[in-house]
Amino acid sequence: MTAKQSERAAHADRIGALGARVRFDQVEKQYPGGAANAVDGVSLDIAPGEFVTLLGPSGSGKTTTLMMLAGFETPTAGEIWVDDQAIAAVPPWRRNIGMVFQNYALFPHMTVGENIAFPLKLRGMPRDEVTRRTREALDLVGLPGYEGRYPRQLSGGQQQRIALARALVFNPRVLLMDEPLGALDKQLRERLQLEIKALHDQLGVTIIYVTHDQQEALVMSDRIAVMNLGQIEQIGGPGELYDEPASRFVASFIGESNFLDGRVTGFDDGLGVIEAPGVGMLRAPAHGGCAINSEVALTVRPEKIVFADELNGASANTIDAEIVTVIFVGEMHRYEARLGGGQTIVLKRQHRSGVGRCGRGDRVRLGWHVADGRLV
Amino acid sequence: MGDREFDPIQQAQNRRRHERMVMLRDLDVMSRREVLRRGGRLAAGVSAASLLLRAGFPIVPTMAQGTPAASEIKLPEYGEIPANLKGSGELRVISWGGALQDAQRKAYFEPFQELTGIKVVESEGPDTSKIKAMVDSGNVEIDVAEVGYDGVLLLLKQGDYWNKLDYSLFDTANIDASRRHEFAVDMLPYGTVIGYRTDVFPEGPTGQKDFWDLTKFPGPRTTESGTGGVLPFLEGALIADGVAKDGLYPLDIDRAFNSLSKIKSDVVKFWDAGAQPAQMLNDKEVVMGHSWSGRVYAIEAAGAPVKTVWNEGMLSTDVWASPKGSNAENANKFMAFTLLPVSQARLCSLIPYGFVNNAAAKLLPAERVAMLPTAPEYKDQMFDTNVQWWADNTPAVTDRWNEWILE
Amino acid sequence: MATAARAEQARRFERLERLTQRRYLLLLAPAVLFLVIFYGYPVAAMLLRSFNDPAWGFGNFKPLTAARTPIEILGVSLPMNAYLRVIGITLQIAVGTTIATLLLGYPVAYALASMPMSRANLLMIFVLVPFWTSILVRTYAWMALLGTDGIVNEVLMGLRLIDQPATLLNTRGAVYVGMVHILLPFMILPLYAVMRGIDRNLMRAAENLGARPWQVFRSVFLPLSLPGVAAGCLLVFILALGFYITPSLLGGQRDIMISMLIQQQVVQLKWGFASALALVLLVISLIIYLVFVRVLGVQRIFGGGRR
Ligand SMILES: Nc1ncnc2c1ncn2[C@@H]1O[C@H](COP(=O)(O)OP(=O)(O)OP(=O)(O)O)[C@@H](O)[C@H]1O
Ligand SMILES: [Mg+2]
Repeated sequence: MTAKQSERAAHADRIGALGARVRFDQVEKQYPGGAANAVDGVSLDIAPGEFVTLLGPSGSGKTTTLMMLAGFETPTAGEIWVDDQAIAAVPPWRRNIGMVFQNYALFPHMTVGENIAFPLKLRGMPRDEVTRRTREALDLVGLPGYEGRYPRQLSGGQQQRIALARALVFNPRVLLMDEPLGALDKQLRERLQLEIKALHDQLGVTIIYVTHDQQEALVMSDRIAVMNLGQIEQIGGPGELYDEPASRFVASFIGESNFLDGRVTGFDDGLGVIEAPGVGMLRAPAHGGCAINSEVALTVRPEKIVFADELNGASANTIDAEIVTVIFVGEMHRYEARLGGGQTIVLKRQHRSGVGRCGRGDRVRLGWHVADGRLV
Repeated sequence: MGDREFDPIQQAQNRRRHERMVMLRDLDVMSRREVLRRGGRLAAGVSAASLLLRAGFPIVPTMAQGTPAASEIKLPEYGEIPANLKGSGELRVISWGGALQDAQRKAYFEPFQELTGIKVVESEGPDTSKIKAMVDSGNVEIDVAEVGYDGVLLLLKQGDYWNKLDYSLFDTANIDASRRHEFAVDMLPYGTVIGYRTDVFPEGPTGQKDFWDLTKFPGPRTTESGTGGVLPFLEGALIADGVAKDGLYPLDIDRAFNSLSKIKSDVVKFWDAGAQPAQMLNDKEVVMGHSWSGRVYAIEAAGAPVKTVWNEGMLSTDVWASPKGSNAENANKFMAFTLLPVSQARLCSLIPYGFVNNAAAKLLPAERVAMLPTAPEYKDQMFDTNVQWWADNTPAVTDRWNEWILE
Repeated sequence: MATAARAEQARRFERLERLTQRRYLLLLAPAVLFLVIFYGYPVAAMLLRSFNDPAWGFGNFKPLTAARTPIEILGVSLPMNAYLRVIGITLQIAVGTTIATLLLGYPVAYALASMPMSRANLLMIFVLVPFWTSILVRTYAWMALLGTDGIVNEVLMGLRLIDQPATLLNTRGAVYVGMVHILLPFMILPLYAVMRGIDRNLMRAAENLGARPWQVFRSVFLPLSLPGVAAGCLLVFILALGFYITPSLLGGQRDIMISMLIQQQVVQLKWGFASALALVLLVISLIIYLVFVRVLGVQRIFGGGRR
């Protein structure tokens, strides 16, 4: 082993243990011939060792953002930093960023062992070291002894794990994962979500994860960046996004939500008063974004809506409604109720017995605590 | 090969050969010569030139350019024809199709039908094995066929397949005895001659010795190959080596190849397609070459500075023959009719093959006669190929050629 | 009772399975029948002919073993004759042509496969145009280009690179040029098909893992394109073995290929010997095919790679 090789290996070890800080600064990408920017002014500061998920509908620019970080696309504007290095001029093969592709991109002509050893050999690692590290990587993803197989001899979940092992084996500072679980069935997906999460905790590598499955994002991430039309609509922890969506898009994209359209008529003790046609006057916490007479939507999560008699002391909004459907979804009942203005809202209630509280056609009075509503 | 069995596969091949012939029908008549070389014994396979022509590629100006359009030609007219040629019924003739059969139709078939009262029924693609099958099965559908003389000889070895010709019907006064065989008669002579560039040699070669003289007439040459459906011009090699042209046969194969060796390094190409020597002369790839006579004439007529040396050229020809069991009477009348001086002159006006009846020369313009291989002035200069010798010796020559060319 | 029912069910299932399989075989039947009648029978008859025409035995193979002009290699005298030498020349030309088409075709296929589909389809026309022109026309075009007064010589002389026309036509080089030109599409098409099928993400993955572009090519793209290389080489080589017109028109005295000898014998009605030569050509083709299959695996050649 040459001095240079050992130094390289040691360096890889050092940075891998830490994870890098990744910063996007007003990054834009317009594909040649593309009308709008695929990525449009994305700024994002990811701490070392953080798990950040890019969540958004198809075409919102998630992959493009990853590709620019990995070096396969060049930003048309802005700058990307890894630790304190601007990486625009660094070719992909020197970025030392691991990546798990959506379809795994395992080399079909190489065995599992060769696939995992590939990045190590390129780094000039001596053979016994390569063998050892390959074995360790396979242990890490729970597939010891699979060196001799070819990718086509593996199940989808196994291929996914090999792709993960290959992306991690060279101790990258950052790991990118583009919908890595998209092709797997629900059960396997949920198990691997937890495994990846555990690996992240164990290794401390910075992970940028792409998905359009909000459930997955909520389960795994430290922070979630919700993307839409190339822009980040909101970034925050899972709870923050769920409870305090900054926009109707975010509210609708993460979890289920009810929207009641109305107009701000005044303010009362830090609460905005809005008039919702056919529903009545409703109140919700005000924020800087709403002025008198502005058109807003009051959003409230289905599980926050209760039957009026369940409300306790805190100030609440109440509305009259007629139950349209009742569905028993296992852990709870899901009701759809029509309001005076003709709009429908959804509420979910958990009842001790499997029997619903009321049935189709019943006129009921519903309500929610003022603090549970949000103007967007 | 005289006692070869005839079998289904060969017959299938023959059928295919026939189809190919039909496909070639609208092409340059000389395309047929390539597959007909030396009396038709090589009539098989796809020669490169026939393909060149099938592809419709203008290798060289075609024969048509050497011959005025058929409508402009004034054909000699018949006076009174001999009464014994008249008759009734029909005459079924098979020829090679294409421009040749078109010319034969105008020159022979139409007037024959009109003047003798015998209806002519044409078909295309003669084939000795097919004729054998017809005779064997007793279902003869052909009265006269244009075939190679070796095909006639081949079938004669196997049995009684041909009608003897009745020369009493023929006007033999001007038909050389060498052209009249017991079971066939020559009918379509063509020459193998030297063509040379007049811009390179104002004083050109006069015979095969000059063709072999690399100091007096230096430059690249071309001559016939032993592959691709043609045979090497051993006669020319022997004449150049000092053998008299009337004492050529049996050919001394060793001596001929030794003679060929002397010019081998100056032969840039041994050609196997009739179009090639003319094209090479035309493009000045060679300064002289052995070629079939009509080809050189065609490029000369199109303005290329080339000339034909008839001296020590070789005459080959197809024959008419009549299968056993056919209408021999009408067949003889037909053959005799086509060999009338007027008939011969009519064909020579349409297409530059030679005539068999020497009296035809008097019916043609002098400049037309000069381009035919059988013009009286060339008669003593040229010699006839010996079909029998080639029929017996082709395998030996080919075997020798294959070794020699790789030496 | 339950087991009996299950066994019955299994039997029924098996029968169904067999029936389905038989139905697939039925789909193959027309093609197989066609091949047997129009290809199998004539080929078998031809092969038989090499042993029984004009008489039973190995007589037709005698000329192949005759030591007409033995050659000395390292002091050992090897029996040699025109037929063996022509087989040698044929193999030499076929190998040379295959290598040249591969070297020329690979970059072209690579470029086409790297382009957006729409542009590649457009440019593919230029690869295919020669397909629409007859071999003869293309060969003749080369005769016009390579001739003494041909364009190539004129350009070279015009540039004063040479002062008298070079002999380009009627040489082995001209044979290669003509054959490569004709066979190039047969190399490019399978290469292109395989290369198109290579997942571009694999290239990105390799780069991402630290491979420089040439390393990506060497360790990922090249191995994955090998099935195309094998298919292209096999196709070109076997087609080249049977070439006839191009070497005959463009080649020199010694550029004789085995098909020319076969034709020579067919024309002379020595069909037995012609069949023997054809048999040799067939055997060579089969051996080459088996070697390819052995080395590369048939499914890699015809399965379009492992994915
Ligand atoms: N190579 C390309 N050329 C042109 N436009 C592209 C290219 N790749 C992506 N786009 C466009 O850029 C936009 C963002 O694409 P991107 O692949 O980043 O979306 P995504 O969020 O990853 O979507 P998905 O969830 O479907 O993978 C889309 O409108 C897409 O059509
Ligand atoms: Mg994507």
